[in-house]
Amino acid sequence: MAAPEATTAPAPTPRRRWVPRIALSQELVLFLAIVALFVVVGAINPRFVAERNLQSIFLGNAYIAVAAIGMSMVIISGNIDISVGSLIGVLATVSGTLAVAGVPIILSWIIPVLLSIAFTTTMGAMVAYLRIPSIVVSLGFLSILKGGLIVATGGAWINALPDGFQLAQMKPLGIPMPIYFMVILTIAAALWMRLSATGRSIYAVGGNAEAARLSGISRERTVVKVFAIHGFFVGIAALLYATQLAIIQSTVPPNLELTIITASVVGGVSILGGTGTVVGSTLAAVLLAAIGSSLIFINVSPYWLRAVQGVLILVTVLADMWRRMRQARGRGR
Amino acid sequence: MSDTTAPRMRLTVTHELVLLIALFVSLAVLSVTAERFMSVGNLLNQGRLMTEVALVALPMTFIIITAGIDLSVGSMFGLSAIMLGVFWHNLGVPLPAAMALALVVGTAAGFFNGLLITRLRVPPLIMTLATLALYRGLAEGISQARSVRGYPEWFFVLGQGEVLGVPTQLWILVVAIIIFWIVLSRTTFGRSLYAIGHNETAARYSAIKVDRIKLIIYSLSGFMSGLAGVIFVSRVSTTRSDMGTGLELDVIAAVVLGGTSIFGGVGTIAGTVLGFTLIQLLKNGLALTGVKGDATIVVIGTVLILSILITNFLQHRRGGDG
Amino acid sequence: MLRTMTLALLAGVFAVPAMAQDRWDGADSLDTNPLACDGSAGEMAMKEYDGGQPAAMSDKMGQEITLIDVPKLVGIGYFAATTKGQAEAAAELGNVNVSTDGPTEANIDDQITFIDNYITQGVDGILFAANDPVAIAPVLKKALGEGIHVVGYDANSEPDAREWFVNQAEFNGIGKAMIDAMAEEIGADGSFAIVTSTFTTPNQARWIAEMQAYQAACHPNMKWLETVEAQEDNNLSFNQATTLINKYGDDLDGIFGMTSVATPASAEAVTQAGACGEIAVVGLATPNAMKPYVASDCVKSVVLWNPVDLGYAAVYVMRAVVDGKLKPGDKSVEAGKLGTLSVVNGSEILLGAPFIFTKDNINDFDF
Repeated sequence: MAAPEATTAPAPTPRRRWVPRIALSQELVLFLAIVALFVVVGAINPRFVAERNLQSIFLGNAYIAVAAIGMSMVIISGNIDISVGSLIGVLATVSGTLAVAGVPIILSWIIPVLLSIAFTTTMGAMVAYLRIPSIVVSLGFLSILKGGLIVATGGAWINALPDGFQLAQMKPLGIPMPIYFMVILTIAAALWMRLSATGRSIYAVGGNAEAARLSGISRERTVVKVFAIHGFFVGIAALLYATQLAIIQSTVPPNLELTIITASVVGGVSILGGTGTVVGSTLAAVLLAAIGSSLIFINVSPYWLRAVQGVLILVTVLADMWRRMRQARGRGR
Repeated sequence: MSDTTAPRMRLTVTHELVLLIALFVSLAVLSVTAERFMSVGNLLNQGRLMTEVALVALPMTFIIITAGIDLSVGSMFGLSAIMLGVFWHNLGVPLPAAMALALVVGTAAGFFNGLLITRLRVPPLIMTLATLALYRGLAEGISQARSVRGYPEWFFVLGQGEVLGVPTQLWILVVAIIIFWIVLSRTTFGRSLYAIGHNETAARYSAIKVDRIKLIIYSLSGFMSGLAGVIFVSRVSTTRSDMGTGLELDVIAAVVLGGTSIFGGVGTIAGTVLGFTLIQLLKNGLALTGVKGDATIVVIGTVLILSILITNFLQHRRGGDG
Repeated sequence: MLRTMTLALLAGVFAVPAMAQDRWDGADSLDTNPLACDGSAGEMAMKEYDGGQPAAMSDKMGQEITLIDVPKLVGIGYFAATTKGQAEAAAELGNVNVSTDGPTEANIDDQITFIDNYITQGVDGILFAANDPVAIAPVLKKALGEGIHVVGYDANSEPDAREWFVNQAEFNGIGKAMIDAMAEEIGADGSFAIVTSTFTTPNQARWIAEMQAYQAACHPNMKWLETVEAQEDNNLSFNQATTLINKYGDDLDGIFGMTSVATPASAEAVTQAGACGEIAVVGLATPNAMKPYVASDCVKSVVLWNPVDLGYAAVYVMRAVVDGKLKPGDKSVEAGKLGTLSVVNGSEILLGAPFIFTKDNINDFDF
């Protein structure tokens, strides 16, 4: 959130030996943490690693991972979006309302995504051109969306959704749809961030806006683009959220924005902007979900569940800091 | 988020002025639309209701001026409240000592944030996001989801009583505002906060003890959250582990509405005071006018965005640089 | 430094099993009062009226009154239904204006602020459903002190902070209905788990405590597996129920849903796991949300009172209080289409026994 005092450059660090530099990436740390968790908890209670439970962990939390992809891009560009949970609640309600009203199902899937893009693009424009800090804009919209949703619906649930609406319940080739979305979108976003000019400019704007400007990158246009893309991912996340169950609650899911932001930052996205990857945020979303599930499997007292989750988040964050410090030291040599 | 914020000093239109005008306009409109709004009793009562958010908003202003943030305030608030009950009820500590210990717990929680932020260079947002979960979890685990009730009568003076006709906690708030205002605007410490927020590296080179200052302000945030927690327990006469949930967003909204820049280096206590007062009076006035709660938060969100927008617009015109 | 801290944190993680404790239940620590197993009425201890009284006696007898209803939170189906019932009663009576306003999250601080604002605004009566019985008491007493009538419903406050409380069903009645319904489906030695909102929600904690007491007395061989929290969040409830199903596999015979959010989500989890008929779902829920699962035979019985009736009764009780027709010491009150409701526990008005919705009757209800 500051003028970056010591921005860790995304540039690869030459290591002394051939040990691949990926050895120190946050992605690998997270991946190993996930594997370790499955091995340890699986040894205590084999049912944890049964195919059924693995599927549930991915399936039930894919919408968080998808939303965290967009959030990561926003944070990498040096911004933040606190309104994301409220937006997902609103979009899910819109989608359900359209479906119940008899709009063709395909439209009730697409319209919320388009609305989402339109909404976040507006937000991005306010951040870029009107120069309102993103935390203020999104804090304001959080209230507006949350209050507006209750004014509009009065809290009535949406049920009796038409057949064929439940996208997230479909299982092409036996694998639940949300898992396809999570995997394909993560890979696509990671490649795009790495290979496209716009993708790389996001890092440049977040890392050093002045330098980015000098090298001919428009900060304003990049920020608007980032928010527009973020809107796409939020839209998809809302869709997965809305179509998972037979009922849509038409309220704002409590604390969802914190869960999504936590996934992004635990995934190694620096809040200072400029560094991080979307692969890390997806892995982090999976790790956080797996932690939540595993604590039930190993019989942690439910009263201490959140404390243990907090400690584990802290451990992950500290492991990341440790890795960065080592990297910084390595570079110093 | 490196942005070029125009230096405020040479500008005649300050954000505080915009807010002050907004406050007067709202007061004028609301006192017409709701006849019971403009009474001493109602206004003092609003002061009582906003004290907790206000107390936490003061150190948050310091922290945001240094370009940091503290998201764990609501959880420190809840943890202190729980510990007050645990010390007094479960461990048999006399209530005054339990109150002091609850403040110690809050301060320690803030100190832990500060320690990892300064020693390990964990970005404040990440650190406090992690402890937001951790401290709330501790509160839940320690309390075992049990409430502690049955405090003695004298304890309620703090949260429900009055001194010289003014709610007790309002006196505490006024003293706190004066102290924070003096520290920020009249001391080297205060100037150091701005220096850190403008350019931390430069501040380090100019012999400002950046780490020590950060450690102090994060501990202070824990202390004030603890104090607000104790006052809240006295106001509602019970402790619960979910107290203070979502407090961080209310506090940050008040501070940024008050014109403190999230990029650091800009902000005043006067702005923050105007910020939380405006929010509280809007909520109250709109309710008395007959606007419902869900519509009220829509209005507050709009005011938040508009106020920053108007300031930006005016400064852009006057200052010439965007 | 960093390594020490990390080690300390890791040590904390390994201390986790030490945190695994005996209490699993999400119950509160107050005394329980289980009903007799065969449902025979127990000794009804007669209690003196223990409610509070407004400072000034009402002078609005038979006149138009304005009421405000402050539920735990707005924007959920359950309180939308109580609001509907209140509007029905107001329309029938013709001399009552009632509107609902409240926090968007079940937050004690916000709820207090709402009530405080309405005291300032000046209403004739306040209807409330408390997020916390103790925390809400000071502001309700303030209302009584200003001569405003106060009647609670759904979730009580301390008795002396309000005049009357409309009790949808006694806690021990809910406990018995839930356990009996479950026992019927999974047998006398079945095992079950619970999905609740949070451990600090007073009503849910009370019901769980009463369920425990009744189960220990009347179905001692049933096995209590564990209780998980799921806020009031549909998707989280679904995930938690799914985790329970995956964890216990064939050892899990039934799931209790303790909220109108948790029950349909648990039913959905059982449906999606293909475990209908193997894992029973019993719980508190509104009929509309449960119709698909009852129709597919995945859920056999849903326990609830009618929240529309609850809101309806609350307005009738308030009108009777203002009109002087319900005074301390009275034993019953007339409540429109609901007939005569009886007074229990000193200052509570009982709506009735909990209602069991089944395939045969669920389509008769629409809320």
